[in-house]
Amino acid sequence: MATITLEKVSKVYPNGLPAVTDLDLEVAEGELMVLVGPSGSGKTTALRMVAGLEDITSGTLRMGGQVVNDLPPKDRNVAMVFQSYALYPHMTVAENIGFALKLRKMPKDQIKAKVRDAAQMLGLTDYLNSKPAQLSGGQRQRVAMGRAIVREPSVFLMDEPLSNLDAKMRVQMRAEISRIQRRVGVATMYVTHDQTEAMTMGDRVAVLHMGRLQQCGTPQMLYERPDNIFVAAFIGSPAMNLYEAGISSDGEQVVIGSQSLALPRGLLESRPGLAAMKGRKVVVGIRPEHLSDAALAPSPGPGTTLYADVELIEALGHELEVHFLIDATRARSEEAAAAQETADLGGAPALTMAGAKSEGVARVSPRSQLKAGSRAAFVVDTEHLHFFDPDTGAAIWN
Amino acid sequence: MAATTWAPPALPARSAAAPKRRRWSLGTPFSYMTAFVVMGITLVPILYVVISGFRTSAQINTAPVAWPHPWVFTNYTSVLKSSAFWHYVGNSLFVALTATALTVATGSLAAFALARYSFKGREALFAVFMVGLLFPAGVASLPLYLWLKNLGLLENLMGVALPEAAFSLPYTIFILRPFLRAVPGELEDAAVVDGASRLRFFRSILVPLSRPALTTVAILSFITSWNAYLLPLLVLSNPIHYTLPLGTASFQTTYSQDTAAILAFAALSMVPALAFFVLAERRIVGSLTGALRG
Repeated sequence: MATITLEKVSKVYPNGLPAVTDLDLEVAEGELMVLVGPSGSGKTTALRMVAGLEDITSGTLRMGGQVVNDLPPKDRNVAMVFQSYALYPHMTVAENIGFALKLRKMPKDQIKAKVRDAAQMLGLTDYLNSKPAQLSGGQRQRVAMGRAIVREPSVFLMDEPLSNLDAKMRVQMRAEISRIQRRVGVATMYVTHDQTEAMTMGDRVAVLHMGRLQQCGTPQMLYERPDNIFVAAFIGSPAMNLYEAGISSDGEQVVIGSQSLALPRGLLESRPGLAAMKGRKVVVGIRPEHLSDAALAPSPGPGTTLYADVELIEALGHELEVHFLIDATRARSEEAAAAQETADLGGAPALTMAGAKSEGVARVSPRSQLKAGSRAAFVVDTEHLHFFDPDTGAAIWN
Repeated sequence: MAATTWAPPALPARSAAAPKRRRWSLGTPFSYMTAFVVMGITLVPILYVVISGFRTSAQINTAPVAWPHPWVFTNYTSVLKSSAFWHYVGNSLFVALTATALTVATGSLAAFALARYSFKGREALFAVFMVGLLFPAGVASLPLYLWLKNLGLLENLMGVALPEAAFSLPYTIFILRPFLRAVPGELEDAAVVDGASRLRFFRSILVPLSRPALTTVAILSFITSWNAYLLPLLVLSNPIHYTLPLGTASFQTTYSQDTAAILAFAALSMVPALAFFVLAERRIVGSLTGALRG
């Protein structure tokens, strides 16, 4: 059992490309830390450095307090689950699971017992003599897990282990991996590009972008208090609506396109930094669930309504996802665009821009009577607005 | 979905390319004709040798191309009963097996390094091996002879086996390198994390996965050195060391009048190589279907 500590860890590839820059991260014993980010964010490189499969260019990597920068993988006692599972195709399930033990020259009967225990835990007992090609995707995934846990590693590393499974299987295995991880109770680093996976599985989540750590915290914290535009746009599905806006000179209103919203006192108090933004440009963020159909609201207060044209409605049963076009400019910082690109892979259809209008999404009650093509009024939960500095992308709090 | 288990790249399997319903086109009769011609050129001489072995020399002299009448078995039985023949077979087997073992062992390791290690000058080194493909063995015979003489390997079967293995290395590496390269890096990473050294990865993962390719190069190497004539001729002059091709030639000189016996001897000298090919070819197909299954 060990904690994993990364101190200012950097990786520069021989061609001069930086993959990870000054990464500080600590994973406690038994904790599941999810590294999430778009492709090329350096998350897999970070994981491979912890595994010992990549050299560390600078910085210190500790496991259980011991510096392991130059330790070969086999001496780090890490187990890793790969995206492709990387099962040895010519070996049976039992041989795959027991290979690491065999390399440690463990007596055969002990290997057999351990493999049997692991197989039992993972429901693989009937498949011990099968070859990987005879198994389903979910079973292969379990074999990969078995191969990792049978060694009783002090650190568990997983590189996008669910990305080769279909949607249903993914949800099932997500729960299963969490269950096994808690049972084994070792420090775990889990890499994914899927923010849903990150949110549902992680004790804590580290968001990476362009090799740099953007924010690390509990899923709830990342969702409620994103540190910057990138995290705000990346975490949450559908993604946060981000528009260029301005704070009125009296500091009491936020102007979005031709419309404005009143800033409630509570919000101004909790974000003293906003006072300094009077008369200046900001980026405003509205989570889709903080927009509701005004027709269903009892009596919307003044300055809490935004009007937009409904483009498309996706009924999900428990809610409607209303895609709209609003008279405003979408925040187009590089970070937001990158985050958006990744989020879009997840599903929401990309809407075409019409004139100066920008797209947005609201999650409204299924009782809503909104129709595609109609003009809608949305009540905004202004207490939950997010503000970012358009130059630095940093969230405005203090 | 991405491929989740890796299977060795398929060598052309017989059934894979065959469409279920063949369409007749102008090209089809032509390709059949070509196939028949090629088959004829290959098979007719062999069949002629085998069948004529069942005739007497007198029969052959009167009608060179004819069916045996009557069938005579003495040519074959006398060759099979001669101790010289079996001695040659033994020598040939020793040379071919040694050369094959050396080729496969060193060639696969060289291909491993050239495929999966990155080091300066790797491509240049690979090019050197590939130049070997263009290098006619005959050109090397004189320096090779002198070298073997200095090493005291003349009149020694190893003096044939070692150069044969060396001459087989270029195509062995040529065939094996892409095969070893195609094994995904994640498998190697997994083995490394599991605690395997690079050599252990080679032995426990790469070699079993490359069995079809290894079998292919083994067959090629075996047959090349089995059939080698020039090198044994240079190195071996004492009939005690003769390999089968040399033995056949010497038999031919000794019994130059007995054409039928020579043909029987030649036919029998082909049998071991053919047998090896048939056995190994089964294994190629076997490991291919094995790979497809997992």
